[in-house]
Amino acid sequence: MSKYFIPVLFLIILFLSAIKRVKPYDAFTSGAKSAIPFAQSVFPYLTSIFVLTELFEISGLSLMITNFLSPFFAFLGIPTELTKLTLIKPFSGSGSLALVSEIYQKYGVNGYLSRCASVIYGSSETVFYVASVYFVNAKNKNLTAPIIISLVAGFFSCVFACFICKII
Amino acid sequence: MNAIFGIIIILSISLLLFTNPGAVLSAMLSGGEKALSLTLKMVVVYAVWMGMFELLEKSGLSNKISKLLRPINRFLFGPLPEKANDFISLNLSANLLGMSGATTPMGIKAINELEKHENTTYAIAVFFVINATSVQLIPSSILALRTSFSAINPADIILPTILATSLSTLIGILLCKIFLKRKK
Repeated sequence: MSKYFIPVLFLIILFLSAIKRVKPYDAFTSGAKSAIPFAQSVFPYLTSIFVLTELFEISGLSLMITNFLSPFFAFLGIPTELTKLTLIKPFSGSGSLALVSEIYQKYGVNGYLSRCASVIYGSSETVFYVASVYFVNAKNKNLTAPIIISLVAGFFSCVFACFICKII
Repeated sequence: MNAIFGIIIILSISLLLFTNPGAVLSAMLSGGEKALSLTLKMVVVYAVWMGMFELLEKSGLSNKISKLLRPINRFLFGPLPEKANDFISLNLSANLLGMSGATTPMGIKAINELEKHENTTYAIAVFFVINATSVQLIPSSILALRTSFSAINPADIILPTILATSLSTLIGILLCKIFLKRKK
């Protein structure tokens, strides 16, 4: 079903613009033009985020924090095996997807842990990615309060995810 | 952001100094490589979606979507400038429908548009929180992964995911309403 969605949407857009006598080639090209300046401005921010996550991971700092926080997370109902995923999620989308895949492999895709990991993955976005990419051309990049709010909300939904997966 | 970046980098490098000093530079370079490959992927996605978006805008369809969502947006963000409302509406609908390629370009445009006007700090914060807590209804990448691992029922996580992500967005909006002041 969902695979028809994008082609149908694009057809509707093209038909509607044909009715309005929009020149499709000119319009499409003019839109696509903005991609290169976008790349130029976004690359430095992505580099900073990725350098950060690599160092965080390789130095063992992530492991130390994981071990430190595990008891607290377990108290709230987040299984120890999923502490790392909960922590990595705000930093790296691809990193956490790789973690989910690892969890599937280790514990079997149908078990509670794997279902729970799936829901945690889907429950919030990569907060720091949104913060760096969406604001790439923004003048005011001070996002402390919104970032904290998003992290808190994301954490609560992780706790909720572990709870709901036990019921449903 | 500067504080987080500074603290994590200093701690990580100090740790590595004792455990594996040779890994510092290579880890940083490998981070850069990942950033470059993601940038390349994003440029392509961005170009295609921005091309389609130009048509969407000229066809008048984006205006209709924008009008449809105006009441919801007014409730969430307060009064919005016309153009910002367009981009926010498109970003939110792309988010809901799981067209992840389209959300980022629309999000950047929305933020830039909001910044051109005064008294939009609150709207920008709420818009960020909504995007950061994810409003995607169908978790397509997880579904694909579960299918590739041949799960018995790959879709059994859809309902819990919708509940969890709605909750995170709800808490996010609520916290914004409590802690961030909307300027009249």
